[in-house]
Order: sequence, then structure tokens, then C-alpha cells
Amino acid sequence: MEKLHFNYAATEKIAHPVHIGVVASGDLEVIMKPTTNSESTLDIVTGSDGFKEVWGNVLTRFFDRYPLLADFEINDFGATPGVVNLRLTQAMEALKNE
Amino acid sequence: MSEARNWATHREAKAEKLSSVASLLNGKLAKTSDAKAILENLIAPGDKVVLEGDNQKQASFLSKVLASVDPARVHDLHMIMSSISRPEHLDIFEDGIASKMDFSFAGPQSTRVSQMIADGSLQVGDIHTYLELYARMFVDLIPNVVLVAADKVDRDGNLYTGNNTEETPVIVESAAFHDGIVIVQANEIVDKVPRVDIPADWVDVVIPADEPYQLEPLFTRDPQNITELQILMGMMAIRGIYEKHNVQSVNHGVGFNTAAIELLLPTYGEQLGLKGKIVPNWEVNPTPTLIPAIESGWVQSIHSFGGEVGMEQYIAARPDIFFVGPDGSMRSNRAFGQMAGQYALDMFVGSTLQIDQYGNSSTVTNGRLSGFGGAPNMGSNPTGRRHSTPAWQSLRPDNDPLGKGQKLVVQMVETFGSNKRPVFVDSLDAVEVRKEAKLQNVPIMIYSEDTTHIVTEEGIAYLYKTSSMAERQAAIEAIAGVTPVGLRSNPAQVADLRARGIVAFPEDLGVNRNQATRSLLAAQNMEDLVKWSKGLYNPPAKFRSWS
Amino acid sequence: MRSLWIFPGQGGQHAGMLKDVDPALREHVEQMLDLKLLDTDVAYQDSVQLQVGIELLQVSQINSLKASGLKPSLVAGHSLGVFAAAYAIGSLQQDDLFPLVKRRAELMQGAYPEGYGMGVVVGMSRKQVEDLVAQVHSDEHPVYASNQNSEDQTALSGELAAIDQVVKLAKDHGATIAMRLKVPVPSHSPLMADVATKLSALLESVPLTKPNGIYLANNTGHAVRQVPQVEADLSGNLAHPVYFEAMMAVAHDYQPDSIVNFSPGRPFRKVLGQKFGDLHQVNLDQMSVSDVEFLLNKWERGTN
Repeated sequence: MEKLHFNYAATEKIAHPVHIGVVASGDLEVIMKPTTNSESTLDIVTGSDGFKEVWGNVLTRFFDRYPLLADFEINDFGATPGVVNLRLTQAMEALKNE
Repeated sequence: MSEARNWATHREAKAEKLSSVASLLNGKLAKTSDAKAILENLIAPGDKVVLEGDNQKQASFLSKVLASVDPARVHDLHMIMSSISRPEHLDIFEDGIASKMDFSFAGPQSTRVSQMIADGSLQVGDIHTYLELYARMFVDLIPNVVLVAADKVDRDGNLYTGNNTEETPVIVESAAFHDGIVIVQANEIVDKVPRVDIPADWVDVVIPADEPYQLEPLFTRDPQNITELQILMGMMAIRGIYEKHNVQSVNHGVGFNTAAIELLLPTYGEQLGLKGKIVPNWEVNPTPTLIPAIESGWVQSIHSFGGEVGMEQYIAARPDIFFVGPDGSMRSNRAFGQMAGQYALDMFVGSTLQIDQYGNSSTVTNGRLSGFGGAPNMGSNPTGRRHSTPAWQSLRPDNDPLGKGQKLVVQMVETFGSNKRPVFVDSLDAVEVRKEAKLQNVPIMIYSEDTTHIVTEEGIAYLYKTSSMAERQAAIEAIAGVTPVGLRSNPAQVADLRARGIVAFPEDLGVNRNQATRSLLAAQNMEDLVKWSKGLYNPPAKFRSWS
Repeated sequence: MRSLWIFPGQGGQHAGMLKDVDPALREHVEQMLDLKLLDTDVAYQDSVQLQVGIELLQVSQINSLKASGLKPSLVAGHSLGVFAAAYAIGSLQQDDLFPLVKRRAELMQGAYPEGYGMGVVVGMSRKQVEDLVAQVHSDEHPVYASNQNSEDQTALSGELAAIDQVVKLAKDHGATIAMRLKVPVPSHSPLMADVATKLSALLESVPLTKPNGIYLANNTGHAVRQVPQVEADLSGNLAHPVYFEAMMAVAHDYQPDSIVNFSPGRPFRKVLGQKFGDLHQVNLDQMSVSDVEFLLNKWERGTN
């Protein structure tokens, strides 16, 4: 069990909260809330230890493509980087399609 | 003037061998209990022997008998096998019965094959794609003895091989017309076969087996195991490749990615208005996950390399679709299927374990030499092809007046495998395996130059559109996630590639990621497939979780 | 049925683990070895109590399963477990097994003073671990890459100070986990070559028979069917890594339809899950022998 924290420069404010995914084996839950901060903050609780670098890579790639400005809470139960990317981009899509 | 040469040495040798077992035969029929004696008399040391290990059907009785022969009498055999599937296929090397192997696929024995090559107990001639191995049986690997399996055999020796005909005809032909000896294990001896798949004239000895030949349901995929990532990739493939290139004929390599596509046609494909517009013609095994698409009217024809356990009744009830004989049962043929896969298809879609930074793919990893199977053939561009179809033509380069089209070869992979190791790597494990296994060349499954599209959970790289290796690498990096390869991608490059249509993310294709849920599959589980088939599909026991 | 029987080595022992062992067998072994088995946590600090105790437990379970008509097609012992494995597949006799194991334990107990042991690195390939080991190893401060229990889990054996250095390097290079193990002997490394030589000498007078099935060898990861390789594994495995992941990969190629995990403990849950998915499995550490017999017979009847 590990708690990770990240900050990212971001520009696209989100209008309302969004909740994607579930904390099931191999999956994760992404909760995004609007923020008044000037950068995005991410609090991650993960069941798999030692993957801080991989999380950093996934998040950097995500923010390079989708610079969403929000507070993120992520609860992860051993998802692969591909599944993490899926949930993050699904959250991004859910916001764009409103 | 020199002495006249004897031009019939093979024929005389064969006649002599057969006369040595004449007392054990009634016509062509032998007794099960005489199998060992027959093999010991008909196989000479150093012979080239084909043992039918097909992909699905295994001549398991003959395989066990061969493993029991006396190595003092039968030794140093040169085995020619399309699939190394059973433990005995390798025991014969440890026990000194065989010494050399030319093969195609070794998936089910990949660890042991690697170990035995490394410690010298298995000497490999070469590894082939299926069609290539069959081809050599007529040129420089002409067999002395072939050991095959049939369902039913009549008292004259006519063979019925039915749904699981697979490569029996091509193996038998290579021996029958060059004085090789054809030995068949039969599930059943009958008065009359339902149809003649291989005429008695081509057969020398028939031995009733002590149990039916082994048959594996290799192409059955339980829809319950399809993941959302595979569904998203399937949606992108249908939209960004099948629709975009107007694909009419296809082969699906075995796997969950292709099973997902099959189950998305009646739902997602329907939403896109594609029914009747794409993929009426298939070269593929009768995989159960195709049932909903067939029942919904998407499919006009399916020719198969082999059968699939449990599909027999469904196939017999759909003769307009499948290749069914006048007797009502299917006939498969791997050699013709591979030929069709080479020249007659718009597209091959498969998956792989590793892709390097240039786009070369391989399923060979350290310590596991799985061989090639059909993929190098299905996944290669036939430069001999001349006829044009819209999909093939759509890949024609713009700038070449003498140009022509190209077969679509699609690799679908998630960026990280189930073991959390990256699929995209700087250098394939196969490079090391070449040294370990003492091969002439790196065992690459599909080369970069033949790969036209790569699909990952991030998007599609249209590799055929790239105009340099550097651009090809950049396109791969754009969809290679956070693998070491993907981490080299930079946002400016990605934006440029997207703008020029070389890379497409789901939003570029109009694919909605939130729609990628299991409820989009036309069937969620095996029970649904049975319902779609109106009760005609009969899943094998290991897929029945509800009964 | 084509069953794979797996026998763990040290690690899962606990006080009272011998309670269900056949009393007649226990008495016979205790008499034969002139040794009273105490079956307490304190006793298991002693190598002889520990190794003989574990093998007694496994042999008792084997006898019970065989009495109800079950037998293995493949056997895989891990380290100490190779003796029970050789017994289960018919190569080694019961009354030869126990004196051998007692002697092995005695030899191991005296082999190394303090300052030696084992470690583990998770999240790196074996090649990567071997590269790090090469950077640290020297004759005065030896350390080796040893057991391979799964693809991304490599054990280390050697001098503790050297192990600690490799552990630090591993962490710096992105290993998910890297640490010492609670094992006081540098097992499965060339440092045990002496013990292996002495065991080999003992084995010369022990009659071994051709395995009645497949014996999966620790020291090569190969499937073996002949006596010389079984013998080489029984004597030599202490001086070589246990290539358990390779053993399981080869076992998979034999297409077993069930797995029986013998006591003590369940150390292989992860690698078995990776290699065999949801293949039928039973664990004698959690179920009674009669429950295991019931399940295996039920699965056999249900097989097509």
C-alpha cells in the first residue's frame, strides 16, 4: 500500500466533478474535482508498491496531451499502465462530452 | 558404357519394407497391438518422418507408439513436424529415436524445446511458417514415412478426415507420389465412409488407435475474459481500419483482441452502419465468437484451416457459410487456407508479445522458443499478388507510377502485457534467442516493412503512411504508452503526426472511450453464444461453467 | 488424471505441523534416525529437526494420497522438497530418504558461520540482477544470483555484506522490492559445493529407480526421466540455483490437469497463478488429506 502525490502544470479548468472506474482487481477509480489552484494536484493510493516512476510517466504523458486543471483522487488496485490511461482518458472524455 | 542406373530404388525399397509386414496386414488393415512392430519394420534409421502434430489434431496414438520403439532399430530420424505439441514429440529425441527436427510451431512445448536446443539434445534444421514446411515436403524435405490421423477408414483404406482434415492431405500427397510410406491411425474402421477425403490408393497401412486422436479447442475464447481495453481497441480497429479501408476479406489471428472485434460487429459495427459493407469473406477457423456476426447476416463465406471442437453441428446447419461436403460435414484444409491467407485476403489482424522500436514483432522470448505457425505467412505482403481490391489498393503509394497495393497487416497489442512488462522494447528478446538456439536469423514473426498498422489502447499508427524509418519510429512512439519506446515520444511530434493522419487517437476516429464497456459485446459469455447458435454450438467441458 | 505434485522446502514450518502425521511412520523414522521430533518453534531453529520434520510431513501426506489410489504424473520439489518429490515419483525409497535428509541438515548446519545468508530482488529480470551481482561479487565478499521462483523474482546467496550492496544497487535501479531473507545459509550457490560433494558421496550407495513419471530438476529446470539426472539433482541442488520458474514452465508444457501443493506453507501461489491460471489446485496446508482426495477424485470423474 503506497500513497503518492503529484503536481502538474495545467490549463483547462473542469466545470464539474467526475467519477470513473471502480476499485476492483486490475482496475482503479479516478475522481476529479474542480479546483481554484493554478496547477493540478493528484493524490494516489495504490495497492502495488514501488511503481512511483511508472505513475509519473503515465501522468506526464496524460497531462502533455490533456492538460486538465483539477484535483485528482485516484484509488488503484493493481491496474496496468494501459488501464490507468483508459480511466484517465475516459474521465477527460466524460468532461468534454457534457 | 557404364552400367544402367536403377531408377526405381525408392519404389523397390518401399516394396521390400511393406513385404516385411505383409503377415501383419489384412489388406491395409493392421491390429492395434502390432503398431510397434509395424513402425519398427517400416521406419529405417535416418528416415525423414512426418508425424502429424497439426495445430489442433494430433496423431497421438502413433506418437506414443513411436516413442516406444526400440532405439537400436529405429534411430537418428529426421522429424518434419508442423507442430511440436506433445511431450512424446520431444521424448523421442531424449531417447535417441530422433536426432533432427524441422518444424513450424512449438507453442505447447516451447520451454522444453528451448532447453533441449540449449543442451544439445535437439538439433534443429530450421523453423518455418506452415506453408513453407509443406512446400519443402515436395522439394528438399521429401518424407520417407508419414504418420497421420483419420476419423473413419473403410476396409479398403479410404480415409474420412472430416472437420479436422487440416494438413493430412498435403502430408499424404508428399509421400504417396514419391514412394514414401503412409501409415494412418484411425478412430474407427467402418463399412462405408461418409465421404472420401483421401483415397485408399494413397494409403499403405491403417492401424485402429486405442483411443480417439487428441483434438484441442484452440480457437475458442470465452467472451467473459474480454477486457474493456480490448473492446476499445476493437472499436478503433473497426472504425479506423475495417471501415476506413473498406476491408472485404480477412483472417483473424487467434486471441482476445480479434474475438472482441467479432463480437463488436453486430453491435458497434451495426451502429456505424457497416453491415453488408465490410468483411463478407473470411479465412479463419470456425471460432464460436463469430456466431453472432454470422447469425446477424454479416458473413457470406468462411473457409477454415481446421475445425473447432463443439462447432460441428452449427457448421453442418450453415452450409451456405462454411465449406461443407455433400455428406454434411465440414472439410478444412490448412495448406489451402494458408495459400488463401497469402494471396486472397485484404487483411490479417493479429497480436504479438513484443514489438521493437522499428515495428518488428516476435512471440519468441527468453527460454521459450514457440516457433512461427502461420503468422509469418498471414502477416506478410505477397509481392506476387496482381489482382486489385479497394482495401489493397488503398495502400498504394502516391508517388510511384509503377506502384501497386499492399496487404493490410495489423498488429493489436496493449502497451504492457499481463505480466506488467512492456510490449514495446528497444530490442527483441528474439535477438538473444537467436544465439541461444543457434539459429541463422533472428526469429522475427512479422517484419516492420510488412506491418501496415499497429493498434494499442492509445490509438492507431498508420505505418504504411510513413515515409522514413525515423517517421515510422515516431509513429510507434506516439502510441507506445509509457514503455521505454513510448517515453521517447514528444508532444510536438505527436501533434504533427495526428494532423497528417499518421497517428489517430480515439477522439480522432470519433470513437468514444466511455462506450467501451462489456455490454457492447454481442455475447457476454459462452451461454450467450450457445443461445445465438440456437443451441447448435456445443462448448467443450472446460468452457462450460454453468452446467 | 495428469497431476503435478509440488513439495516446498523450508519456510512454511510451524509448531504442531506434525500433528496429523501417521503415528506409526513417525515412530519408525524417529527410531531409524535415533531422533525425537519435538515439533515446536524452538526445535525448528535446529536444521535437523526442521528438515526431517518437513520431509516426514510430506512423506506422510504422499503415503495417504497413494493409499487412496492417487499418484503424480509430474513432481516438483523446491530445495529440500526434492527428496519427497523423488520418493513420490518412485525413484527414492522411504527408508533411504530420511537418513539422507538428516545428513544433509547436519552438513548444512555446520557449513557456514554467521555473516552469510540470502536475499531477494523483485521487479527486475534475472539478467539485470546478474549484472548487479557481477559488480559486487569478489572472492572475499561473494554473492550470487540464486533461486528463480518467478520471472521477476531472483534470490541472492552469499555474504550478507555483499548481499546488502546488491540490494542497495537494485533499489537504485528500480527494483520494486529488494531485501535480505531470514535464511542463515548461502543455499543454492557455489559456496555450498562442499556439502554437495559429500551428499553426492552418500548417494552413491543409495539405490535409485527410474522415475515413474516426470521429475522436475531444480538445478537445470529440466524435466528428467532418468536416474542419473535425478541423482545429480538430489546431491547437487544445494550448490545450484533452484530454477523453479523454468520447472513450472516445463510442467505447463506437459499439460497437467491438476496441482497438489504439499505442506508446509503456500509459497508458490503467485508463480502458479501466472503459469497455470485457474487450473484445479489443492493445498494440503489448508485442507485435510481426505478433502483433497475427495476433490481430486471428483475432478477425475468430471474430466471428459
